[in-house]
Amino acid sequence: MSAVSQITRDEWRFWRRTKTATIILFIGTLLTIISAVVNTIKMEDATHERHHLQQASESRFLDQPDRHPHRMVHYGHYVFRTPSPLSIIEPGVDAFTGTSIFLEGHRQNSAMFSDQRQASGMTRFSSLTPSFLLQVLVPLFVILIGYACITREKEAGTLNIMITQGVNLWHLLVGKYLALVASGLLMLTPLIVASVWATTTGEPLMLTSSFIAGYVLYILIWSGIVLIVSALSKKSSASFATLVGLWIVLCILVPRMGSSSAAIIAPSLGKLESDFAVFEALRKLGDGHNAADPAFEQLKKNLFAKYGVDKVDELPINFRGTVAQYSEQKLTAVLNQFAEQRMQEELSQAQIARQFGWLTPTTAIRSFSMMIAGSSLETHHRFLREAEKLRFDFVQSLNQIHQDTLDYKADMNRHNDDKSARVSASNWQVLSEFSFTTDTPTTRLSNSIPYLLQLLFWGLIVVFGIRVAVRGISQ
Amino acid sequence: MKVFSNISREARFLFRQKHLLGILSVILLLSIFSVWSGLSEMESQSSTIERLQEKDRIDRESVLAKQSDYGSAAYYSFHLTYSEPSKLAFAAIGQRDVYPWKHRIRMLAIEGQIYETDADNPELSFLGRFDFAFLASVLLPLFVILLLHDIRSSEREAGRYDLLITTAVKQKYLWFPRAFVLSSALALALLAPFIVGAFISGASLVDIVLICAVVMAHSVFWTLLIVWYTSIKSVASQSSTQIASVLLSAWLVVTVLLPVSSDVVIDKLVSSPSGGDILLLQREAVNDAWDLPDEVTWRAFLATHPQWKDHIDMGPTFEWKWYYAFQQVGDQKAGTLSQAYQNATLEKDGLAKRFALLSPPMLTQQLMSSFAKTDTLAAMQYEQDIRAYHNALRQFYYPLMFTRAEYSLATMSEIPEFSQYITK
Repeated sequence: MSAVSQITRDEWRFWRRTKTATIILFIGTLLTIISAVVNTIKMEDATHERHHLQQASESRFLDQPDRHPHRMVHYGHYVFRTPSPLSIIEPGVDAFTGTSIFLEGHRQNSAMFSDQRQASGMTRFSSLTPSFLLQVLVPLFVILIGYACITREKEAGTLNIMITQGVNLWHLLVGKYLALVASGLLMLTPLIVASVWATTTGEPLMLTSSFIAGYVLYILIWSGIVLIVSALSKKSSASFATLVGLWIVLCILVPRMGSSSAAIIAPSLGKLESDFAVFEALRKLGDGHNAADPAFEQLKKNLFAKYGVDKVDELPINFRGTVAQYSEQKLTAVLNQFAEQRMQEELSQAQIARQFGWLTPTTAIRSFSMMIAGSSLETHHRFLREAEKLRFDFVQSLNQIHQDTLDYKADMNRHNDDKSARVSASNWQVLSEFSFTTDTPTTRLSNSIPYLLQLLFWGLIVVFGIRVAVRGISQ
Repeated sequence: MKVFSNISREARFLFRQKHLLGILSVILLLSIFSVWSGLSEMESQSSTIERLQEKDRIDRESVLAKQSDYGSAAYYSFHLTYSEPSKLAFAAIGQRDVYPWKHRIRMLAIEGQIYETDADNPELSFLGRFDFAFLASVLLPLFVILLLHDIRSSEREAGRYDLLITTAVKQKYLWFPRAFVLSSALALALLAPFIVGAFISGASLVDIVLICAVVMAHSVFWTLLIVWYTSIKSVASQSSTQIASVLLSAWLVVTVLLPVSSDVVIDKLVSSPSGGDILLLQREAVNDAWDLPDEVTWRAFLATHPQWKDHIDMGPTFEWKWYYAFQQVGDQKAGTLSQAYQNATLEKDGLAKRFALLSPPMLTQQLMSSFAKTDTLAAMQYEQDIRAYHNALRQFYYPLMFTRAEYSLATMSEIPEFSQYITK
């Protein structure tokens, strides 16, 4: 083992002497530190702001005066998605999805005001997030530091000398490899610090450690690729050109080709177009505002039979409230069915793009990192579902109040005597608190398994590649 | 003729090198993929708009047939608005995957509807699309660096440098033709698929020439930069890879660091009202109106629409004209905030354009998407068109509602069409 560590130390000493490697390492580490700090501040701000907006929206709802309950159904409510602790490193789709939704009766609105729409448009290729730096730029830095790690010895003739002196080739390669890995890990330090920070703010240790482990694996893979190419190349310039070519293809091209391919292979209709089908289906249900709509005839008959009356105003409950409740339920079932279908479409597009992780480790680590951080499309979909549940609950509770508390005759006379057709503001307490939390650790871990497998697959390729390289040199 | 013979000599020399042909054919394939995927994306957007127009018409006709007054007709009927992709949009998808390009609106308060988006899959937007503009702005410099960084040093490393220098009449006859051949081969590999694609999509000759000029200018910039850098005395002793590392860092600075830091700066410079506030204000205004005395709504409404001052009498039951009046008032209340929000977007875009002057790749990207009308300005123009059309709907319905006209489908057939409000 001492031979290995000797080689590692020599490599580091060489880098220190040549300065370029030191400068690259310094810049790389500095960049990741800056991005981690900037992003942490940004995410903390977003968390506070959204938390604050959430509370403001709730108290505003509760502060509404005495009103007709259906008015509150249309008054509606806002919910905000607070980012997960690990999104200080991996914001994921956060900037591209809206982070707030307006909830109201009879409608499912989409999330609005995504950050990208309000941004200057300068960050479409790159962004100052630690994840972009670690996934895309750190491999380039490792390449710049290490492309010549073996070819240099070949060109200077020292490789042959070492071999004839009896240096084990495996020791040599592993030594160089460890030196490269160490440089990569140095640039990973800000991530480790940020993860520890996330742990102190409530993220389970198991998650943050697997998050770090994923990135370490990624560094191991890229250091391996650099080592293999350098060992198989005759000249430093050839090694350099191959590695930069590989970097362009693996880090930039393939991930984007994945998303372009997904859009072509599984085109999605878009909300607007599927909404036609939704409206079509909804029209068959009848208008819940109009209790005289023939669609509610059966409901009326059942109620008459149940209470033994034959006129709407003899019912002990407010029939208009009953209709509102009944039609909201039917309508929500239809809306949910279409919403689920749409989410499935989005998910299958994303799945196609993520399969490109078998073609490049960058897509693999990106999917893995989004899953663990809880900033993936799945999490956003869960936000949509939870928001919908809250919407349905408060709308139905208001409809219940409409049915049980508001007198039918006063309700029918509301255009002449607006004051009597109201219920007390104390009823607005039906609104439950909304706080969106990240997925449970088990969900996140199990969601990330496919992408861990992709990373491990790349790990295997690297191990295999090093064996080929050893055989290549010894011939 | 001397120039020509120099060039053909270099071309013959260079194209005998297999790895060069390899790199060029990879670039050609990438360009083909980017053009093809862009074309198919825009094709699908166009046919989506066509389908939507048809569905929208049928849907509205069936809705209108069931109505008996103009108020409910306006309430229940939606109108499709859209922004057709330009003939060049396939080459630069630009902001079209972040901003909406289709929208259905009705005569309720516009501020409550305009921010709804039918955006693309967020995960795909996050990964980014591989369009021709990406190839020409972000990747082109990398290709030029890959092809040209060792233009001198490879000769030196092969031991031919001094021989070449002494035999050449003038140094510039040696390096410029070589750089010229390489970068034109690169430009050809990039642009050929684009030109074919542009003809397929039917782009005008001027547009094609403009895009080609931008791409070539970008490529010339990097070529000259490299030729200049490698001619510096102190660089002459560096190895190919050292030179390439420096050039790569230059690329990193202009494509990553500059845009990212200018984004931070722009964010600090321009303060924008939060979009949520506009919605909140509009919602409060519209909802409070139900509880306010009618006069309050009428006063605010008549301030902007004095011509209806003799028609504001209210019947015993619900009146649509009052309902739409407070929708209008809701928009008026949110107007200042909404204008500030739009101005902030424009201001950010203007600043981004200025910062892009520092970064050739960003400049290329912006020029291309502005030629392709897929930039922020085009998206803002589309929003203006929607607002103009929404206003036209109001102007159409107000006389009918305020004069309590008899509902007739014949009148409804004269409703404004969105196509008349598209700014070319």
